[in-house]
This record gives sequence, structure tokens and C-alpha cells, in this order.
Amino acid sequence: MAFKITEKELKHLAELARIEIKSSEKEKLAKDLGKIIGYFEELKSLNTKNVLPMSGGTFLENIFQEKDFSQKRLSGEKSAEAFPERQDNFLKTPPVFE
Amino acid sequence: MHLHDLTIKKFHEGLLNKEFSVLEIVQSFFKCIKDKDEEIGAYLTLNEEEAIKAAEKVDLAIAKNEEIDILAGVPLAIKDNILIENLPATAASKILKNYIASYDATVIKKLKKAGSVFLGKTNLDEFAMGSSNENSAFKIVHNPYDLKRVPGGSSGGSAAAVASHMAIAALGSDTGGSIRQPAHFCGVVGLKPTYGAVSRFGLMAMASSLDQIGPITKTAEDAALLFNQIKGIDPFDATSAKFDYAGDLLNPDLAKIKKLKIGLPKEYFEKGLDKNVSQGMEEAIKRLKTLGLKFKNISLPHTSYALSCYYIIMPAEVSTNLARFEGIRYSRINADRIRTNADNISVNQRSYQRKSALSEIYFRQRGQGFGQEAKRRIILGTFVLSAGYYDAYYSQAQKVRRLVKEDFDRAFDSSAGGVDVILTPVAPTSAFKINEKTSDPLAMYLSDILTIPVNLAGLPAISLPVKKYCLGGKELPVGFQLIGKHFQEADILGIGQYYERIED
Repeated sequence: MAFKITEKELKHLAELARIEIKSSEKEKLAKDLGKIIGYFEELKSLNTKNVLPMSGGTFLENIFQEKDFSQKRLSGEKSAEAFPERQDNFLKTPPVFE
Repeated sequence: MHLHDLTIKKFHEGLLNKEFSVLEIVQSFFKCIKDKDEEIGAYLTLNEEEAIKAAEKVDLAIAKNEEIDILAGVPLAIKDNILIENLPATAASKILKNYIASYDATVIKKLKKAGSVFLGKTNLDEFAMGSSNENSAFKIVHNPYDLKRVPGGSSGGSAAAVASHMAIAALGSDTGGSIRQPAHFCGVVGLKPTYGAVSRFGLMAMASSLDQIGPITKTAEDAALLFNQIKGIDPFDATSAKFDYAGDLLNPDLAKIKKLKIGLPKEYFEKGLDKNVSQGMEEAIKRLKTLGLKFKNISLPHTSYALSCYYIIMPAEVSTNLARFEGIRYSRINADRIRTNADNISVNQRSYQRKSALSEIYFRQRGQGFGQEAKRRIILGTFVLSAGYYDAYYSQAQKVRRLVKEDFDRAFDSSAGGVDVILTPVAPTSAFKINEKTSDPLAMYLSDILTIPVNLAGLPAISLPVKKYCLGGKELPVGFQLIGKHFQEADILGIGQYYERIED
């Protein structure tokens, strides 16, 4: 059973996700999402009243971070190399204020 | 020595016996890649200069009679979502087209320490999202056994490179089957380790509670060798775990292996399997019986819910993990000055004026940078996490995830006569045709139905070819999956190592 995603809802979701959706993509995207979400309906038939949600991969336990860990981190200079544009000691971004 | 015959083990023996040098072999691999990869499409970047330097270093150590690691000089292919310092790491996405990694992933650091050689970075579905490698933003990968078919995904480039002898072995990543399914489609071995066994530091996160890095190789023995090197706790990955594997990984004891009880879950065999897949399962079981292994029919009752559960949890994590790609850091597409058009946006039924040029950059960069499948999953993840839908979808999926895991706990419970290992098919079909499933995302998702439960439960699993397949032969490869208990990779790798020694 397909779930109905309206154009308004899709627009709202795209705003939340900070993604521009072209008008040519909209119809197919809404239809595909509706079909996928419709497939999820089967989960509603399961009784999970006394089941605890499982969020992690396997067992996790609290441990202390090892000593001197912070010194092993990537240097600022090295991290900055991964930035697309630089000028002198500055990271260059497109203008974000008007 | 022909490249076709090389496994890690044979390569190492050949080096010690001075049958060839590392450099010779590395150069033959590059020649093979240049001859063949145009029609396969397995590699996105080649690392020839550095690979030759690394090869010469190992040759020098051999010439000086220094002791070398078993992985020294081994020519490997690395999936392009794993970082190697100073090499591009695109994850097959336009949004990272110009990104150069500034550090080594922990697995790469460990392999460099052993002296391994990296031939290049392999193609994948964008950000590891897909089951056919058709979601790569740059090019598709063709299955070496039939060029009209897909190699599987998302580690399709890595599996195709190993299958077509363009690398001795490779690394991939597996979130819902991305190592095992392409291994099955390409007739090679793929191991998805226990969640936490291998550090994910330097692997681009897709769904952090499910992702694992693992080897794709020609033999189970090679998979054990690679896994043995990359495993271990890492302070840079808080989910990595400490576990003492002792010597069981590399030298499995047949007497111990013979005592393992194998479960056959009925839910995995009733899913409309293709004829060649069900025949493959019968053949694998028959061969395993010759080793003296015992089988038992079992049930994992929540199996059919795992797909829904996964396609809620995974996109939720994708939508948060991929938020970091905004076109400001890492890589940028035509970043001209962007003028805002101050239209109204609506959030929670209230209308706001969109003022910032910054958000305009985000929308445009992400809109242009992400492909269809990435967008679909980000929006889907945003939906299942949004107010009003969270409880019905995300929270319910997390509960079902526990039910799926508890199915396995019960099946493996030794105090209740449980089994040690579970055998299943890897996917309902062999490699499907290019474009067969691209228009219907749900049909594509269904090809992961038999690999997903393992990731939800955090278990280790291996895909092993039923028999040796010949490139150029008429037959499409079929693999079978062995699922082990948490941190019991030794069991499934051990069975695999004895399985491949069985003579036809």
C-alpha cells in the first residue's frame, strides 16, 4: 500500500534536509518515497510494547580515553589542507553575507 | 607466475623464493588494469607512482634479507570511501569530486605498516548506497563474468577488481551487504566482520551503527590474513572493541571445525530463490557434509521484517551523517557568488523569509552534488526522524531491530542446544542485468534482504563462492553466506578455509 507524500510535504522535507530538488525530480521522488514508506506498514503489525529500542551496533561499555590521545590528532595545518580554497592562512569560502 | 593464480599466500611464497619481485608484479597489475579496466570500470583513481615506491621498498628489504610481513608488497585495491593520505577520496560522489584525503584511515595505517601496496581506489555506489554500483556518479562497473550484468554493490569496484585479477585482494565496506553481495555476484570471498572488530576511522560514515570495513579476496585464507591485520581496538573509533582472537584465525583446527553445528534458517530459503541459487545452496551443504559438519533446521522468525527495519534506520543515520557535506568544506562545485532570492520557506506551518546566502549555498551544492539515491535516502531519513513520524517509524524500527537480534541470540544459545554457525544464501539471485532495477528503488532494496539482518544484529558473516568459477565460462557465480557469533570470525573463516580445500 502506497503512502501519500504531498508536494507540500516533500518541499518541507527538502527544506529540512537542505537539498534543492529540481521540479523535474519531484514527482518521481514523491512516488518512490510513497512506495517505500508504504512497504514499512508491515512493521505496525508487530507487537513491540515491551521491547526496548536497540540503537547501537552491539554491546557498548563506558571506558576512559587513553592518556595523550589529544596529541595524536591531526594538526591544524594538515586539516586545513583538506579545505577546497585557501589564501595565506585563511580558509576561503564563497561570500555568505550580503 | 600468472596474475590469475596469485593469492596473498602464493605471492608471499613467491617473494621468499625469489620467483619474482614486488615491482614486477605491481607493474604487471598496472598493465592488466590498463588493458582491462576500460571495459570493467573498477577503478576511479590509480596510485601508480606511490605503489612503485612502496614496491621498491619491500624489494629492498628482501634484498637485505630482512624479515617481511606476510602482507608486505601485496597489491591491494581500496574502496574509494576509505581514506588514503594524499589520494582522492570521492565516495563516487560529485560533491567530493575534488577532495583529497589528508590522513590515512586506521586500516590503511595498519596495512602500510605491513608494507602492502595500494594500486588505486575502487568504484562504488555513491557513499556506499546501492546494490549494483549503478549509483556511482562517475561510471558504472561491469561484472567480469558477464559485462552486461552488474557486479553488485556497493563495493562493486573492489569485487570486480579482485575477480578480474586487477588486484590480489581489496577492502570494501558493508552496511547492509555491500561486501558480501558483490562477492557473491563476482565469485570472490567477502567478509563483513563483527560490528566493532575493525576501526571505522577514516571510512566515510554512511550508517554508523551498521558500517564495517572488511576484505574482499580470492580465498578464505586470504580474507583471514587481511582481517587479522586490520582488526583491533582504536582510540579514534569509540565503537571499536578489544577482542583476543588468539591463533584461531590463521590456523584453524579441523577437529574443532568439524564439531561446529550449522543452522539452516527456513525463512532464508523460502524467499523466492532463483534456481541456480538454491542449487548452489544444495551443493555447498553437500560439500560441507563431506567435512563431517552437522546441520540443523532452525527458525529466525523476524527475518521478513528486517528489510523495513533497515530501510528506516539506515536512511535516518545517512541523513545525519551526510549533513557534513555542504559544499563549503572538503570539495566545492562551481562556487560562484550566490545571490539570494528571498522567497518564503515554510517550517512547521510557519513562514520564514529565507535570508541567508549561506543556506542558499547549502541547498544548491547539495542539490547538484548528491545523486538520486543519496537524495532519496536523505529525504527518507529526514521523514522517519521528523516530528509526527518518529514513533511510528524510527522508534518502531529500533524495537524491531532488537527482535531481529534476539532471533539470532536464541539460535546461537548453546545452553538451549543452539547452533554455532548459520548458513544462508547471500541474495535471492545471481548478478542481474545493468538497468534491470534502476527505475524501481524498492526492487533494488529487496536484493539486500538476506544480508541485512546480519548488520542489524552486528554479527560477522562471510560470502564464499560455492565452487571455483571460470572467467569467460557460461556460469554466473553463486556464493553462500556463513553467519557466526559475535567475534567468532574464526568459525566462519575456518569453515571457509577447509571448504576451499575440498577437491572437486
